[in-house]
Amino acid sequence: MEIPYIVTPRKDTGLFNSKIAIWLFLASEVMLFGGFFSAYVFLRIGADYPWPERTLPVLPGLINTFILIGSSVTVVFAWASLKMRQWRRFQFFMTVTIACAAIFMVLKGLEYNVKFHHQAVRLPDYTVIEGHLGYEKEKGKEVLDHHGRKIEENRILIEASGLTFSTVRFHTPWVEELLSQAAHRNAKITLAEDVSAITREGQAVGILAKAGEPLSPALLERLQEAHLEARSHNGALRTAALREKWTAAKAENPGKRGWQIASGVNIDATALEPKLLTEIGTVAFKVDPPARMNFKPRDVREGDTQSRLRDDTVIDGKLLASPMVFHNVDAIDFRHLAMKAVEKGQDPMAAIENSWLINNHAFAREAWEWNKAEVAKLEKTLIATYKVDPKTGKPNREPTAKERYRIGWKEFAKKAEDAGRPKLGFWGRISEEFKGPNYAARGEETFPHLSLPREQIGFSSKFTPAWNTYYAIYFTITGLHGLHVIGGALVLAYYLFFGRKMYESNPEWLANRVEIGGLFWHFVDLVWIFAFPIFYLM
Amino acid sequence: MPHAGTMSSHATTHPGHAAPHEDHHHDPGFIRKYVFSTDHKMIGLQYGITAMCFLAFGFYLMMVMRWSIAYPHQPLPEWMSWIFTDGWKARWLQDGKVTGETYNMFGAMHGTIMVFLGIVPLGFGAFGNYVTPLQIGAPDMAFPRLNMASYWVYLLGGLVMCTSFFMESGAAKSGWTNYSPLAGFADGQVVNPWLAGQTQWLIGLVLLITSSLLGSVNFITTIINLRARGMTWMRMPFFVWSMLVTGFLLLLAFPPLEAAGIMQLADRVFHSSFFMPSGLFTKSEGLADLSGGGSPLLFQHLFWFLGHPEVYVLLLPAFACVAEIIPVNTRKPLWGYKSMVYSVLVLGFLSFIVWAHHMYMTGMGAAVSTFFQTTTVLISVPSVVIITAMLISLWGGSIRFTPPMMWACAFIPMFGIGGLTGLPLAFNLADLHLHDTYYVIGHFHYVVAPGILFGLFAGVLHWYPKITGRYMSGWLNHLHFWPSLVCMNLIFFPMLLQGMAGFHRRWYNGGDAYLSKAADSTNVFGNTVAQHIDMNILMSMGAWTLALAQIPFIINLFVSWKTGKKVESDNPWNATTLEWATPTPPGHGNFTFDPAVYRGPYEYSRPDSVQDYIPQWETPKKSKPDH
Repeated sequence: MEIPYIVTPRKDTGLFNSKIAIWLFLASEVMLFGGFFSAYVFLRIGADYPWPERTLPVLPGLINTFILIGSSVTVVFAWASLKMRQWRRFQFFMTVTIACAAIFMVLKGLEYNVKFHHQAVRLPDYTVIEGHLGYEKEKGKEVLDHHGRKIEENRILIEASGLTFSTVRFHTPWVEELLSQAAHRNAKITLAEDVSAITREGQAVGILAKAGEPLSPALLERLQEAHLEARSHNGALRTAALREKWTAAKAENPGKRGWQIASGVNIDATALEPKLLTEIGTVAFKVDPPARMNFKPRDVREGDTQSRLRDDTVIDGKLLASPMVFHNVDAIDFRHLAMKAVEKGQDPMAAIENSWLINNHAFAREAWEWNKAEVAKLEKTLIATYKVDPKTGKPNREPTAKERYRIGWKEFAKKAEDAGRPKLGFWGRISEEFKGPNYAARGEETFPHLSLPREQIGFSSKFTPAWNTYYAIYFTITGLHGLHVIGGALVLAYYLFFGRKMYESNPEWLANRVEIGGLFWHFVDLVWIFAFPIFYLM
Repeated sequence: MPHAGTMSSHATTHPGHAAPHEDHHHDPGFIRKYVFSTDHKMIGLQYGITAMCFLAFGFYLMMVMRWSIAYPHQPLPEWMSWIFTDGWKARWLQDGKVTGETYNMFGAMHGTIMVFLGIVPLGFGAFGNYVTPLQIGAPDMAFPRLNMASYWVYLLGGLVMCTSFFMESGAAKSGWTNYSPLAGFADGQVVNPWLAGQTQWLIGLVLLITSSLLGSVNFITTIINLRARGMTWMRMPFFVWSMLVTGFLLLLAFPPLEAAGIMQLADRVFHSSFFMPSGLFTKSEGLADLSGGGSPLLFQHLFWFLGHPEVYVLLLPAFACVAEIIPVNTRKPLWGYKSMVYSVLVLGFLSFIVWAHHMYMTGMGAAVSTFFQTTTVLISVPSVVIITAMLISLWGGSIRFTPPMMWACAFIPMFGIGGLTGLPLAFNLADLHLHDTYYVIGHFHYVVAPGILFGLFAGVLHWYPKITGRYMSGWLNHLHFWPSLVCMNLIFFPMLLQGMAGFHRRWYNGGDAYLSKAADSTNVFGNTVAQHIDMNILMSMGAWTLALAQIPFIINLFVSWKTGKKVESDNPWNATTLEWATPTPPGHGNFTFDPAVYRGPYEYSRPDSVQDYIPQWETPKKSKPDH
């Protein structure tokens, strides 16, 4: 059996099979990305916070645009070469295409990487601070967690004296992390008291684990097993008892509906008691001596004397001051604060000047005053350039909200340079476009230090999808686009490296395949043509 | 040459036209033939069997739910709960009773399984795969390996969804519609969000959409490019047209849901706020640790952009089967074939612009609601054209009440009830009252259960002789058909009444909680509930009896394979379409001759012909095929 029209087109439709298929597939892709782009529009129109306009560095995006357009051209050359049966030329152009894809992905990777390491925080008064966090240090050395990773100075710190685990819900990696932290502080986590239970019907109480036994995942697993067994056993007993009660109740009340007699049908708890096994829902450990432990903010709901992890582990102990420590603040953004002030009918400038940050940190006030002066200069330039509308008496152009209320890293750098800090060279500045501000070269005078108390943290995140809906849709569309680039490049690479055999036996077929791959590649390019302006320019 | 009904097919009488490659001579081995097969017929059977297993599982979940509705205070009976382990029961049942949480889980998974894992794969995957290439005279699908991948991705997606029943979190619990922010928060207590049932649901969904994408691309390409000589567009059986439109619906409607699924996945595992508005506050978590600023309405739009075309993805394969069975068994052309074709195309197009009639209650605005109300009323026109054409096709025919025809005849009124009860829901004002009540449940179950499923049962009985070479048993079919017909109505008709009385669709205890209000004579709602609550028992009994009624079908399906009455020829129903020109069962490559088509698909009882049907492939005395 042979499927027709694989290589040659069918006469009446004029198409070979895979050409129909790729157009259909692309139609479906249009609907997929259409879904995301409509989400972008929906989210942007409905945003209740200042949409981050023109926030991404344009240069890497622009370079990527040209690279991708270039690769779309070379993939056509590669296909044409095959049609002309020039294998070497095909190899050359296909290699260029794939190299372009690789460069695109590297630049994309750099762009992502900067964001994953950049912290943002929104204060309760809606001031936004951005910057670079420091790492936990002890005696000048960085502390590592049990994976050997550095710990950012954005942790909930608790002087833990007791830990109570939920036997069904404890999360093993967290148990290991607790053990590692305790070991680091030379503290021991041991069972607070004997765990005794009835593990078989009719048996006496036995001791499952003795007080003083050290915490280990294995111990918890053992208790979990006993607990689950008891729970199953008791559940079956209770169900059987209830069933029996219902049979009796129905016999006693003939003709009555279930809901009419339900209130009178209950399990006789005391009769069941002797048969039940002990369920060990929680198990308590003590930390000796009490040790300072750190937790990721998202994992813990903190309280003054008792906190709770997301796996229902209860931590007894005093909550310590747990500031978020910026080694380098590189942006202060009052746009959200100003927006909220306007919503409340207040003067945004007054609201900014009354904000917590400006009143508590001299560097912020200084930066704000500097920025106000810059905005005033800008206003004058705009009036000089675009004039004042003679009818209303208002300037034709005014500074944007971003120019007025956001002091970004370029502003911080300019301010420092104005104050006499050395300037970076051309390549240094180009490198900053890709990798973000160069803290080391510009120093703490440019990007100051800030220790932010926990109660001043409204919402915080890295520049990941969690930070706001703009970054969420940015990462989703560009990430999915990146996956398409990788997928497309892999397919094209397959033709390049494994196409020779087919080229020799059926070159037209290979040309068809490259045509299909090329059509897909054009689509990937097209998506980027849409994504670039909406994320980088608008 | 004459084609008397009992004669062997064209194929066997023309050995000279044998296909160039006789692949079926060398045995490809068990694994390649039955497991990783690229033959569209084997893949169709794989789809069919898998889908029926999922249907049975979804049915079982519903039986448990119906117990909770009818007898909320009583432990599940042992005949229903034996399938669970004691540990599972202890986790998910309270003293043997179904809890609200478990009910939600079963409800969400019942819907998901029935729609995505049951009906679509059965209608489109199984029937579409088996029948479409045969009917257009193709040797296989255009991309056999893609076809295989489509099945395996579907199976993987289904298993991913169903394994979540055994996770700590249990399976998804936020309804089959999976609305955010509920679905964004669900299972939030699970430390690793990838291991939560709600996340598994999304991953499964993305896999299923991938599968349907591969399938639909393959179907459409096959129909466009692999038609036999002479198989012009207007000579295609209605079945093929339906599959073509279904393919387009799957191709274009699923991706927006995939987008929504990916965004919801990001909300769940990367804590983004696509569908999470600002200031979300929950009882357990307090103020959500999220940026906010997202839009729950966006999810609904994206979901229903799929959701409504999905209804037609479910429905069209059933239409397709019934439209094939009626002409064969009335010995009469399908009435209004062309109008039906145009209707199905219009239906496909309109189904993309009616989605927000599921969202009247979201407060999206009167203008938007009015637009969607109008388009919704419009879409009833092509549906009614199709169903009317089927009805009129019966007129004046000498109907053979063969087993498939019984189901096809039952399909028409049952689907009719389902369709007509939808009209009040299309109107804003009526929907205000009926939204999220049992009326809605009754309406769409009438469409799907006694409607679509009956159509698909008809299809199974109709093509079974082609697949196996044997008929299914007639008396077992009676045992299956009549109780099913009665029980379906027993279950779903009271739902319409309960719904109008205000019964909410998500009450896990069937309204029991409102009975305490019934004692107060001034409480109108309490009294209404008391008046309608006993229907729950009747409906549940109906549901369980319906389960029993499926046993004859299962026996019939397997036992007839070996012991059923053998077919007398390759064309046992004396049908006109090309699938009956193949050997029984068709070998790899399908046709033993080069198929060519000379006429339309439903040439029955032509006055100029001696026999009461003229197959599409029969060579006319004078004219030639088109090209």
